[in-house]
Order: sequence, then structure tokens, then C-alpha cells
Amino acid sequence: MDDVTPGPVPEDPAGGGSVIAVRGLQILDGAKRLVGPVSFELAAGSTTGLCGPSGAGKSTVLRALVDLLPHGLRRQGEIDVLGRPVRYGKGDAALRSTVVLVPQTPVVFGGSVLENALFGLRHLMRAPKAELRDRAERALREAGLWDEVATRLDTPAQTLSNGQRQRLCLARALALEPAALLLDEPTSALDERSRDTVEESVAALRGNRTVLLVSHDPAQVERLCDRTVRIDLPKPSEPAPAGV
Amino acid sequence: MGLTLERPARAPGPRAVPRPSRGSGRGSRARWVWTWAYSGVLSVLLTVAVLLGYLLTGLASGTVDWPALLTSATWNPGNLAFGGLAMIYGSAVVCVLALVLAVPAGWAAAVALSEYLPPRLAKPLRLSVELLAAVPSIVYGLIGIMVIRPFVAGLGGVPGGDSLLAAGIVLAVMIMPTIVAVSVDALAAVPGRYREAAYALGLTRREVVRSAVLPQARPGMRAGVLLGLARALGEAIAVFMVVGRADGRLPRSAGELLDSLPRPGQTLTTKLAGPEPMLAGTSGPYFAALCGLGVILLALVAAATVWGTRGGGARTPRPPRLRRSSAWLRVPKDRAATAVRLGALLLPGALLAGMLGILLVRGGAALNPVFWFSPSEGAAGGGIRDQILGTLLLLATTAVIALPLGYGAGVVIGTHASARTARVLETLTVAIGGTPTILLGLAGYVLLCTTMGWGRSWLAGAVVLVPVVVPVIALTTAGRIRGMPPETTEAALALGLTRAQYVRSVVVPYTWPATLTGLLLGLARAAGETAPLIFTATVFFGAPAFPTGVVNAPVQALPTHIFTLSQDSGAPEAIAQAWGSALVLVLITAGLLTLAVLLRNRFEGARRWTT
Repeated sequence: MDDVTPGPVPEDPAGGGSVIAVRGLQILDGAKRLVGPVSFELAAGSTTGLCGPSGAGKSTVLRALVDLLPHGLRRQGEIDVLGRPVRYGKGDAALRSTVVLVPQTPVVFGGSVLENALFGLRHLMRAPKAELRDRAERALREAGLWDEVATRLDTPAQTLSNGQRQRLCLARALALEPAALLLDEPTSALDERSRDTVEESVAALRGNRTVLLVSHDPAQVERLCDRTVRIDLPKPSEPAPAGV
Repeated sequence: MGLTLERPARAPGPRAVPRPSRGSGRGSRARWVWTWAYSGVLSVLLTVAVLLGYLLTGLASGTVDWPALLTSATWNPGNLAFGGLAMIYGSAVVCVLALVLAVPAGWAAAVALSEYLPPRLAKPLRLSVELLAAVPSIVYGLIGIMVIRPFVAGLGGVPGGDSLLAAGIVLAVMIMPTIVAVSVDALAAVPGRYREAAYALGLTRREVVRSAVLPQARPGMRAGVLLGLARALGEAIAVFMVVGRADGRLPRSAGELLDSLPRPGQTLTTKLAGPEPMLAGTSGPYFAALCGLGVILLALVAAATVWGTRGGGARTPRPPRLRRSSAWLRVPKDRAATAVRLGALLLPGALLAGMLGILLVRGGAALNPVFWFSPSEGAAGGGIRDQILGTLLLLATTAVIALPLGYGAGVVIGTHASARTARVLETLTVAIGGTPTILLGLAGYVLLCTTMGWGRSWLAGAVVLVPVVVPVIALTTAGRIRGMPPETTEAALALGLTRAQYVRSVVVPYTWPATLTGLLLGLARAAGETAPLIFTATVFFGAPAFPTGVVNAPVQALPTHIFTLSQDSGAPEAIAQAWGSALVLVLITAGLLTLAVLLRNRFEGARRWTT
């Protein structure tokens, strides 16, 4: 992959190359175990696929990483981000701007394409308008959307097609310069053609960004990922070992 | 969806599985559906016609000096001087006061309820707020007399405490639950994925609420305020009890304006609820001037109601403004917002606790079964058996009349092919629902009691309450029909059902729980109505529990009982009686409402119904 896209490769943290390290993560609903235990590491600059049968809790794992679990679910296990253990419940907003989740269905807020691209960033930094705009342009280029929206940054984002919306969501996350991106089935809500464009954008991130990609499609994981983590439906009787 | 498939099996009458029609051709067996549905629509139109007819014939019966009515502050029937400006001023002031006091706190509390509290806490609180929103205004008036009036008297140094300020506070207390409930519904309607997407970008809770949630919920929250405003404008009894009803008070400067707040005043509704409509007869300039006031009131309320309903529609949300925020202030700002919003929750909480506390302490008499089952001895004491029976009689009669009419109207609004007709009908229904009940009472008084010669009659009272209940039933039913999965409709029509058969076999089984919910909610509202009954149906003392005949057959009812007793607020026995009756009335209302909520939770998801 040519290094044409700007944006830094996250520098090697002290923890030895892994941006996120998950050890023995379990997700519980009361006494019932929904997921895990799962263990994996995301190496800096790698694209890791997270796959498994539907209902295995792939999306739930992503939400547990950024503390967006639905009400009533609990997390157990250790999670390190950039070599430091995460203490959930403290400064989650800061965690979520470091490890950014892109949900499955593209959500477009009211306002223009530009405003959407800056939706998260404008809360995080105080910068002149021109600089914000540059950041947005860089993110849109990285997400492979710039050529399509360069002339209509000020039109409402609601006018974009579904595939464009998904890439806008990707750009919105990239604008934060996250240490890791968590993509939750980014193509499942899309038709075939939009799927290809989004896949191209994700492929372009390979080597530059640390990505965890949830997918139920083994072929897609094959195409896009360096390595794969499988999770299976939990068996209540035996602790399900999970990993590479 | 699972519920959808199950429900027809539980429904009484025809199952949802369409059967081929037998007999003389298709559709003939279900045509009665339309007769019935359109009679519901007719009842809505008839109410509009009667209301307008009453006001317009009144206006025509004597010349109205409109400029004087709108610009003069002198109201002196003896000299035929009819100036309404002081009343318009009074109405405006109490409504502005109510909104200023209720809206910021109400909105903040709604945000806290919907976005901050865990569901386990939020659910019961939300239910309590909805219960508060249904507490009869007469109870708020009573609290105004006993609690708020002395407070204002101490504050303004004006003896008595009857004042515009007291009325404004009473209205604020009264409309805040409505504002909170409607706003919470609007916030809950914002899909969770917007919150998740915003949180996932590292926004704090305050930023998520401001940038992702509020832009979507704002139209609905604004609609809640306008509904509250319509309630405040049209409220007669609660204001009547604390405003002092002094004519001709109009400030001439800003200083006088401030000074006028802790002093007595008059509003449009209190003028109409007073004795003057009785004194004015049914024609002549005096009556025409009162009708003129009614027209002004109706126009103001209709504007607020219709505007509020429109605002809740599918308007594109305003985009969040591109703001740059200082990163180091994010966390403190977030904490401050959390504190303020959770703090705002204390207000409705305190309201609920205070209200229950006062009712239980003061209305202790009602806890004694003797109070429920023995007849009244006027202001001197005794029980309230006949008042309870009278209220139940009125409610039962109203229910029998309103249920088929409201259901019919709802079916037409929900299934009408032309969106425009449906919208016009819906707007009319909403407008009827928001009509000040004092106007319904006056129109009913002139039409039923005077023109038709019924005198004071329980039936007149029940008929006057019908327009209070019909819109609630119709709108709940129509909303439920709109929420039907389109596949159901398509599947039914694809099987060759006529529209009438479709309504009978698909719509009716699907909607009846919503309709019953609407009926109970409407009855809960009707149970507390005081203003329309005073003129048409009730006496304070001496009527039999169950009247025989219709003409000159009044009953006694709880709300009017409380009203009369509260006017006599010197005697301690009367006060104890009033509080006891208030507690009983609240219990009846709460009972109806609890049934409605149980029914709603059993059959539907969360649904907006508080208006």
C-alpha cells in the first residue's frame, strides 16, 4: 500500500507494539455470560478482523472497548490502550476520542457535509476555522470521499448516498486522529456498489491506521485484514478459549 | 411485530383473518362501519359548529364595539362600557409568568429524566410526572389558595395574596408536568443511534445532548411548551380561585407593571367563569361583549394549540452550530450541566412529594370509609357519597356517548385516503381538545339548558364533557392506526377486502387497546373538569344521588363540590371537606390513569398521550 494518505502512524507505545490489548474480556448480563472470555491485541498499523457467527457478540465487544455497552451489561477483564490499563468510568469521553467506534448504520447529523466531518473534532480542539477545514479535508481524503464532496461541502449531509454517508462517518472518526478505529460491519447496510467503495476506503487505511474490523463475511476479512480474531457463541459449561 | 400477530386472537369479535364475504355481494356486511365512523367525524364538526354558533349568534345579538373591547380597560356593564384590555393583559401576564417559571426547569428536568437517569429510576419518575399532569386543575387551585396565596401575601406585602403572581405560579405548577412529559416523549423519540454515534466520537454527555439529541427533539419540546401555554390560557377554575378578579387593573408604566404582579387582576377565562354570563342573559350588548371575549380567548388558544401540533411535525432539525469549544473547559462544563439538570429534577420531585403530602395531611378525612359512604351535610361536614356517585354517573354517561364517536373519528382520521382531509380533521380535533372548557360549558348552557329547556341537568353535563373526551380517543386511535405496519394493510387489501371490511377486520382488532387507553385518559381529564359543570349540571346541595328524568335534574359532583367549598374558605369544616374531596378526586383520576397506563404497557410501546 503506497503511503499517499496523510495522518500519522501511531507511534509505538511502551507496551510493545500493541495499541489495544484485551485479556480475558467477558461480557455479562447479570449472571449470564454473553461473550468471552476473549483475548487479542491490535498491533499498530494493522487491520484486524473480528469475526464469528451472528449473536456471538462481535458488536458488543466493540462497545465494551469504548464503554458504550447497553444498560444492564457488565464488562470483566483487562483492557490496555496505548500500553496503559483503562479505568472505565473516568474520562470516557477522552477514551472514546482515542479509540473511535464507527457504528454499523451510518448516522448523519443535521447540517452540512463539512459540519458533519467536524462533528467530533470541533468539541475537542480550539483552532482557527481554516485549520479545522484543513483537518476535515485531510480526513475526507483519507476516507476516499473528498473527490465526491469537494464542491459541495456546504450542502446538507442528508443529500449523500448511503455509501457516501458511511465514508463520511469514517472521515468524521479519522478527523480525530484516533489511535485505533473500531469499524462495526461497515458494509452490511449497503448495496454492492457502495460496499466496494467503502471497502476501498478501509483498504486504504491498512498500514497507516490501527483498525479493528467486525465482519460476518469471511471473504471480506480475507480481503481487508492482516489477521483474524474469531469469537464463538459462549458455551456455558466450558470456558471458551478465544484468540487468534 | 410479534405483538401485532398475537393481538387479533385476543381481540373480541371478528378475528383478523379475513373471511370471504357471503350474502349479497362484497362489502355489504361491513358498510355500517362507515356510518359509524362518519358519525364520529360529524360529532367533531358538530362541536365546532355549536361552539362557533354560540359565539357568533351571541356577537350578532348585540353590536360589539371591537376597538373598545380590544383597547379599553374599563368594564362597566351598567354604563354599557365593555373594555377587555385589562383581561387580555391579565391573561398574558399569568401565561408569561407560568412559562418563565415552568419552561426552563421543565426542559432541564426532561433532559435529566431522559438522558441522565438510568431507566430503572427514570421509568417510575416519568410515570409520576404523567400522573401529575393529569391531576385536576381544581386541586391545583385548592393548593393555590392554601399554599401559594399566603406565600405571595408574605412576598408582596399585599394582604390576602390574591394576585396575578399567585395565578402565574399556580399555572406554572400546573403546566410543568405537561411540559416535562411531552419533552421526555420528544427526547425518547430520538433514535439511540444518534447518541451512540456522538458518544463514539468522544463527546461528553453535555455535548452529546446539545449537538446530537436536542436538535432533533427541539420541535417536540417546543410543541410541549405550546400545549402547556394552551392549557394555561384556557384554564379557568384554578386561576379563578387565586387571581382576585379585580376589573380594570391596567399598568401604565414599567414600574406599575411590576407593581401590578402581586395585586389582584382579571383574566379572560375568570371573567367568563364568573357570574356575569348568568347575569347577561342570552342576547343584547352585554352578552355580545362576553362572546367577544370568548372569541378572543378561543382565537388565542387555537393559535397556540394548532401551532404546537404543527411544530411537532417532521420539520428538518436545525443543524448544530459550528462552535469551537475550549478543550480544558469540557469536563467542568459537563459536570456543571449534570448538576444543573439533575438539580432541576428536584422541582417535579418536590412538586410530587409536596402535593401528595398536602393531600394526605389535609385530606385525611378521605381515608375514613365513612367519608366515602355517607351523604353530605353541606359545608358543615358529613361525607361525599352523592358527589362520588354523581361524578361516576357523569363519567359513565360521557364514556358511553364519547367512545363510539371518538373511535369513529379516529378511524376516519387514521385511514382516510386523502392526507389533506385527514390533516384538516386532525387539526380540528386537536383544536377541540384544546378548547377552553369554560367555553364548552357556556355553549352547552345556552344550547342545552336554556334553548332546549333542560335546565340544570346531569345529561347536559355529560354531553358538555363529551368534547373533552372525544379528541383524546380519536387522536390515540389515529396514532395507533398510523403506527400499524404497512404490510398488514397491504396484505389485507391484497386479499381483496373492501376498505370497510379492512377497517372491521384489521383496524378494529389492532387498535382497540389504544382506544380504551384514550378513553381512560380522556375520562381522567373529564373527571376533574369543573368549569363546564358549574353552569350546566351540578348543584352544591340537595340533589338526589341518581336523578330521575332529564329536565331540571341536577346532580352533585366532586370538582364543583370542592370549588364551592373552597370559596367558603373561612370555615375549618368546609376546608377539611374540600381537601378530603380533593384526595378522593385525585384517587379516582389516578385510578383511571393507572388502568390506562397498564393497558398501554400491555399492548403498546411507549406512546405519547399527555396533552
